[in-house]
Amino acid sequence: MSEILRTDCVSRYFGGLKAVNNVSMTVNAGDIFGIIGPNGAGKTTFFNVCSGIYRPTEGKVFLCGKDISNLRPDRISRVGIARTFQSTQLFQYMSVLENVKIGCHMATKSRLYDAVLHTKTYRQDEEFATEKALEMLKYVGLSEYAGVMAGNLSYGIQRRVEIARSLATDPKILLLDEPAAGMNRLETDALQDFLKQLNASGQTILLIEHDMKFVMNSCNQIMVLNFGEKICAGPPNVVSNDPQVQAAYFGSGKIGRR
Amino acid sequence: MQYIVDQLINGICQGAIYALMAIGYSVVAGITGMVTFTHGEVMMIGAFAAYYSFLLAGNNIFLGLLFYFGASWLLGVAVYKICYEKFLNSPRHISLICTVGFSMVVKNLAQICFGANRKPMLNIIDNRVFTLGPVTINLLQIVILTVVVVLAVLLSLYMSKTRGGIALRAVSQEKTAAYMVGINVKRTAMIGNCIGCGIGGVAGMLMAIYYQTCYATMGSMLSMKAFSSSILGGMTDTRLSALGGLCIGIIENFGISFSSASFRDAFAFCFLILVLIIRPQGFAVKKGARP
Amino acid sequence: MKNLKELSTKYRGYLLLVLLALLVAAPLLGFKNSTIRIFCRILMCCTLAGSLNIINGYSGQMSLGHAGFFCVGAYTAAILSTRFGVSFWLVLPLAGIFAAIVGMIVAIPTLRMKGIYLSIITLGASEVIRIIALNWQSLTGGSFGIKDIPRPAFFAFTFDSPLKFYYIFLALAIVFLFVSGRVIHSRIGRSWISIRENELAAKSLGIRTSSAKLVNFMYSAFWAGICGAVYAPYVQYIDSAVFSLDEGFNILSMVIIGGQGTLVGPVIGAVVVNGLTEVLRPIGEWRFVMYGVLIIAMMWVRPQGLAGASDSVLAGGRGWKMKKGKISSLMGGSK
Repeated sequence: MSEILRTDCVSRYFGGLKAVNNVSMTVNAGDIFGIIGPNGAGKTTFFNVCSGIYRPTEGKVFLCGKDISNLRPDRISRVGIARTFQSTQLFQYMSVLENVKIGCHMATKSRLYDAVLHTKTYRQDEEFATEKALEMLKYVGLSEYAGVMAGNLSYGIQRRVEIARSLATDPKILLLDEPAAGMNRLETDALQDFLKQLNASGQTILLIEHDMKFVMNSCNQIMVLNFGEKICAGPPNVVSNDPQVQAAYFGSGKIGRR
Repeated sequence: MQYIVDQLINGICQGAIYALMAIGYSVVAGITGMVTFTHGEVMMIGAFAAYYSFLLAGNNIFLGLLFYFGASWLLGVAVYKICYEKFLNSPRHISLICTVGFSMVVKNLAQICFGANRKPMLNIIDNRVFTLGPVTINLLQIVILTVVVVLAVLLSLYMSKTRGGIALRAVSQEKTAAYMVGINVKRTAMIGNCIGCGIGGVAGMLMAIYYQTCYATMGSMLSMKAFSSSILGGMTDTRLSALGGLCIGIIENFGISFSSASFRDAFAFCFLILVLIIRPQGFAVKKGARP
Repeated sequence: MKNLKELSTKYRGYLLLVLLALLVAAPLLGFKNSTIRIFCRILMCCTLAGSLNIINGYSGQMSLGHAGFFCVGAYTAAILSTRFGVSFWLVLPLAGIFAAIVGMIVAIPTLRMKGIYLSIITLGASEVIRIIALNWQSLTGGSFGIKDIPRPAFFAFTFDSPLKFYYIFLALAIVFLFVSGRVIHSRIGRSWISIRENELAAKSLGIRTSSAKLVNFMYSAFWAGICGAVYAPYVQYIDSAVFSLDEGFNILSMVIIGGQGTLVGPVIGAVVVNGLTEVLRPIGEWRFVMYGVLIIAMMWVRPQGLAGASDSVLAGGRGWKMKKGKISSLMGGSK
């Protein structure tokens, strides 16, 4: 198995607060890798470090062996990390199709003069973007919403649009920040099936989630963060029996762990 | 040497006025969370209020102070009602454009009412000159510096010690939370806006006294200075904005002593642009001030 | 209403042809020279406001310094043609390119900034450009301006009347709208719009936001520069007073009243604002007050302008709420 994303002792401090402290992990090709942890454990910060929104204070992030620690977010998405956000960041006033089309930005090459002169490159690009976007929408099962303005959709569907948009960038690894947040049981189950199916087609996924059941059922590797530190990692059955994890989630004794 | 010291004094004096403008500006920007383009017009109205108060009521600087503080306050209420209140939760560019429109209205109304000509400001402070070693300073400059320092201290005391000031700071930081603890956000934001405008008005009148002239279109240039200074200070921080104003005043005066006075404004902007290239957040330590 | 819209999209080509024919024929109906001048001004403003709209409306950056780029174009053209005798047709692209370079210089410090910071820098840059034009005596003639800018000629045919210039301005506006229309509906245009709508998301999709903004600025400045290059020989005399901040705000008011974020918006704005200027001429200075009132009223009632993109952040969320109601009723609670 080849490694896709590896972090090497990554830390991120905000002033004196160690939001992420010395976290190392390796995501291999074909994994569904889950990151769990209580509120404020530094999961989203860790994600933001991986996707370049924050720079790591210390440590390095590697994608397929290439150091990406200090790249800008757009550069990072160019090398193959796509992500979704905890609060969906859609282009609310654009149609779903347009949203996904923008995801094809990187794959297309047309320049200013191509656009002005409608050259062959331009036509090919437009055709490609539209086709690809429609294909992605079909894949996530949202073809019927192609023309609807994204901001008008329900929360669950917006999340799927965001996933479709990320997939349109052809990522090596897909980072999902709390994909099931705000979904009901049915939607969560559907999402779980979808992720498994996506994974079966060869997509590596890294996700953050609160919902233990969801993570235990869908992920094959899990890392647990607490107070910015990694306290445990491994397959679901190992993690769920780890005493430290149980302490972090349910407390230990009268005064919680600190 | 003498020349440099003179320029420094001039720069500090002018910078002090800019600082006052910038303080007013950052009070407005900080508390309403909106960006204003009317600040120059507020200052212009302040200057004209001073002009008419001196004309009608004689050389009484304190009566004058009251008069133009009042005029700017009223204008502040108008700005708030027209440009901000409705747009507190809308994208910021809408209220920004509103203030552009409002400043057009005020500027042109002023041109119609007060005439397009420059009005000579009465010389209300006699031109006594004090010499202290290499430092020469005249009474006018002393008065300006005193007014600026006193106002700045008063404002900072008000903000940190009084109930009203604390409410203002609460509103400037988080409007929803301020609602939750029972602050009337709309009224408080209005008062904040008016305080900012009032300070701006005083700055406008000091400017008019300093240059002994006032005219209807003086606002646009002044507001640019106020922006520049307060952006240097990171928009919402009054103290750093004041520092920014001081810097711009000094830079300008040194700049024009090397070249001609017509490049005065160019120096201010070039300095601003240079600083922003190096530090996009201005002098402020924290990144991401709100506006 | 819907039928009307459908019809207009169906016969869009014909409609445009008819409009074009009208525009070409209009000045031949025997208007006075002064009227033709107004037409010229409107057409020039179409391009000028349109190019500002590329920055403000499409990539969502609040530039306030468009008069500066216009100024650069006009002075470049004037200097090149009076000092060096360069032909108008060569001056045109040169002025555009030079304005684009200035646009790039202005844009670089603003790339990391947003909102008001960018507005102030552009405003300041515009003012600095004007101050330079006013004070660089040896190059720009200082406060005397530049006189006797030669009229363009096409072989033996000289463009020496407002009527002839009308066609230059018309051609310029058409070319601008055509080219911009194509650019907006391309990959580049989409990346600009995505920056306007959600910069974070745009970045996470691999869009180089800073270079997209840079191109956006340069593209806009290019057209403003070309506008200036046509304007200079049209009036034959330029001085820095024309390019004041008020002119910048004037252009801005056209974009805002007409509507940001659509191609047709600034055109409508140019017609409305310049039309109003003429209609309101009898009330003299009060018309500027009227502008201000109009801008405020526009923001209160329709923040996206007369023909603005109601389905964007520009509309301040209002257009969206309205549509939300419509669409959810349309879908009939299918989900």
